[in-house]
Amino acid sequence: MPDMTSLAHPQQRSFNPYSENGGTILAIAGADFSVIAGDTRQSEGYSIQTRYAPKVFRLTDRAVLAVNGFAADGNMFVKKVKQRLEWYRHAHSKDMPLRAIARLIQTMLYARRFFPYYVYNILGGIEEDGTGAVYSFDPVGSYEREACRAAGAAQSLVQPFLDNQIYFKNQTPALGTSHPAHLPLPTVLSIVIDSFTSATERHIEVGDGLEMYVVLAKGRNLQGLEGVRGMQELTVTDDGERVFVVRRDLKKD
Amino acid sequence: MDHFPTNWGRPRNDAYDAYGTHPIPQRPYNGHQDAFADAVQRTQQPIVTGTSVLAIKYKDGIMMAADNLASYGSLARFKDVQRLHPVGQYTVLGAGGDMSDFQYIQHMLEQLSIDEFTCQDGHNLGPAEIHEYMSHVMYARRSKMNPLWNSLIVGGYKDGKRFLSYVDLLGTTYSASTLATGYGAYIAQPLLRKAVEGREDVLTEEEARKIIEDSMRVLFYRDARSLNKFQIATVTSVGVNISESIQLDTSWSFAEGIRGYGAQTQ
Amino acid sequence: MNTFVERFTTNASNGLFCGNGAVEEDEEFSDAMWGSEAGFGSLARGVPSFTVPSVSDPAAFLRLHTDDHADPNCKIKIQHGTTTLAFRFQGGVIVAVDSRATAGSYVASGTVKKVIEINPYLLGTMAGGAADCQYWETYLGMHCRLHELRNRERISVSAASKYLSNLVYGYKGMGLSMGTMICGWDKTGPAVFYVDSDGTRLKGDLFSVGSGSTFAYGVLDQGYRWDLSDEEAQELGRRSIYAAGHRDAFSGNTCNLYHVKENGWNFIGNYDISKLHYDGPGDVAGSPGHGYGYDLRVEGRSSVNAPEAAPAVAAQA
Repeated sequence: MPDMTSLAHPQQRSFNPYSENGGTILAIAGADFSVIAGDTRQSEGYSIQTRYAPKVFRLTDRAVLAVNGFAADGNMFVKKVKQRLEWYRHAHSKDMPLRAIARLIQTMLYARRFFPYYVYNILGGIEEDGTGAVYSFDPVGSYEREACRAAGAAQSLVQPFLDNQIYFKNQTPALGTSHPAHLPLPTVLSIVIDSFTSATERHIEVGDGLEMYVVLAKGRNLQGLEGVRGMQELTVTDDGERVFVVRRDLKKD
Repeated sequence: MDHFPTNWGRPRNDAYDAYGTHPIPQRPYNGHQDAFADAVQRTQQPIVTGTSVLAIKYKDGIMMAADNLASYGSLARFKDVQRLHPVGQYTVLGAGGDMSDFQYIQHMLEQLSIDEFTCQDGHNLGPAEIHEYMSHVMYARRSKMNPLWNSLIVGGYKDGKRFLSYVDLLGTTYSASTLATGYGAYIAQPLLRKAVEGREDVLTEEEARKIIEDSMRVLFYRDARSLNKFQIATVTSVGVNISESIQLDTSWSFAEGIRGYGAQTQ
Repeated sequence: MNTFVERFTTNASNGLFCGNGAVEEDEEFSDAMWGSEAGFGSLARGVPSFTVPSVSDPAAFLRLHTDDHADPNCKIKIQHGTTTLAFRFQGGVIVAVDSRATAGSYVASGTVKKVIEINPYLLGTMAGGAADCQYWETYLGMHCRLHELRNRERISVSAASKYLSNLVYGYKGMGLSMGTMICGWDKTGPAVFYVDSDGTRLKGDLFSVGSGSTFAYGVLDQGYRWDLSDEEAQELGRRSIYAAGHRDAFSGNTCNLYHVKENGWNFIGNYDISKLHYDGPGDVAGSPGHGYGYDLRVEGRSSVNAPEAAPAVAAQA
């Protein structure tokens, strides 16, 4: 097989509309909650542009979107998704359900199939049946519902850790016991924090700050969230799904 | 589509037939056919350029600086160019990169300000609005593969709030209490961060000016496309003020002590 | 000359300095999206509309930024790599696929659903660009439903597959990549059609598509007959995907198995390929009752403890 690389036509050197701004995002679904997290560093090459640029956004009371890749594309994409969700609210006087948002994101990403958004999306939240859900997307819109997913600069560091801790991959349960199907919220939060502190140690593009969004299904108690340091509620009522954010510092070196 | 197992599923490069099985068709060209089509050029590289812009937050507002040089490659072509541009009462815009694109942006913002003024609706554009507008313009132009080749810093002070944000030719945006574009991002930014971070609310104008001047001096020492003639803009509750051009005292005696470059190795 | 003049006249009348694209009408979305159509993304106008980069060769642009094989450092890595197979036999259609998606050398996912359930009696498989397959086969599903509403009968597999091949042929040379089998049961009985992004559409009994297809074909070809029983056919599908998962680095993780019968498709099961190797598929129809790996078969007959050659020779003589 001839080497395609060397025989390919020389590419005309022209304006490159893409850049890469580092950082990592991650989401984990529980039985009746969902955690969506991202670091807040934005970088280009070896330069840290800012130590606080959010990558995780609340879309509705039951949906949170994390974006990673090229920051300009990511911010514009989030803006457009929010606009579409507002139009939906005006037309239907309710929030778009999570699975519909997922399909919307697919069609919006695929509309740019030939000029892709350089964005890896992870959508987390609560499904209409009250279960926690995570949807992950590739840049042109293929998507899948999963229990957990890491994306971005440190995905290859974080995802194997999640496979082991969430899916219990390559772990054998003690004799006569079995692995739990869903983990409790405090356990998930500590796994998320550990993922980011570890990724910060081993990846130069990860660090500065951590934002963890927690979406809680309707009518659930705080499940141990009440004692968490740096927690803040974003929803105003507790008669529907509730959204919380937990902010933590990460190492800044 | 490439059917070879190890390449499977990837789009085929139609310019090259790996198997030599079929003649590669020359597709008819359906684009612009007229001879003048090529006469419309996009900025594919900057021509007359400005270098770094620095900006910091301090107690009373924000401070920004940029030198007066517009280079033509390595030629120091224009030495009295103002790269800090006031927009309305609350905002200043600093630009690095292509100067003709910057002039276009100035003209555009002028038009925007006039439109906004003629409305007389009691609203005035503040720095946040100018930055949002510029980020949309820059992103829209990059998406048309026809960028405005600039790195811009928008700084301002309105309703008791300081504002400092960046946007560039790709539409990338970010804010921080210290910003630096171009070469300044490598040389001045660490100095600015060390001097400013955590002290934004206590730095006086004099202290801020010293930090900016020291950083501009270091840039002049090391950035070959810079000039020892620059302006400082401040935006405070009083409004926008852009200084006359400033010259700094420099001392080159440190050059004696440099070892390890060029012919002199000992 | 006209285009040259036009550009400046239109700009001038709009005010050269106001537009700039920031306040222009959005190309992707129409006003119709305000209403109930708001959920349809690029489909709101009935036909999909796509943004194309404004460069002289958009396909080369796409290749430059997304072809991780020509340039491993390219930023946008679209998921690839697969083994899928489908075959027709007396008892219907067997569809079996692996579940691995790779981006470069990274295993992006091990739980991909590569069988796309277009509707209760049509299945499509996913090979090549994951998004291309998902999007176009979902879109195909919409049109299959419209066909039912218009014609008061289900669409034939042949017509559905032709619809898809015509769709993607319209984008030929733009950089789509999909290799899919459209499988189902219609008035003509079980049917399998291969459709790919070049616009190729083939009717056939047996197809395997993807980087691991060569390995799957090896097992499939030697075990295939028209009069396979349901159990034998399901086992053949599983065994073929196992072979590909075992030998092809870009395939693996798990095997999803579907069986299409007269009344629509049935999901048979999801099998861990590693488990298939050591333990076999477990207690299911057609199971050999042990692992597929040859360690079991060569027990006592491998190079480390080779059997005495003599008895076999003696018996033949």
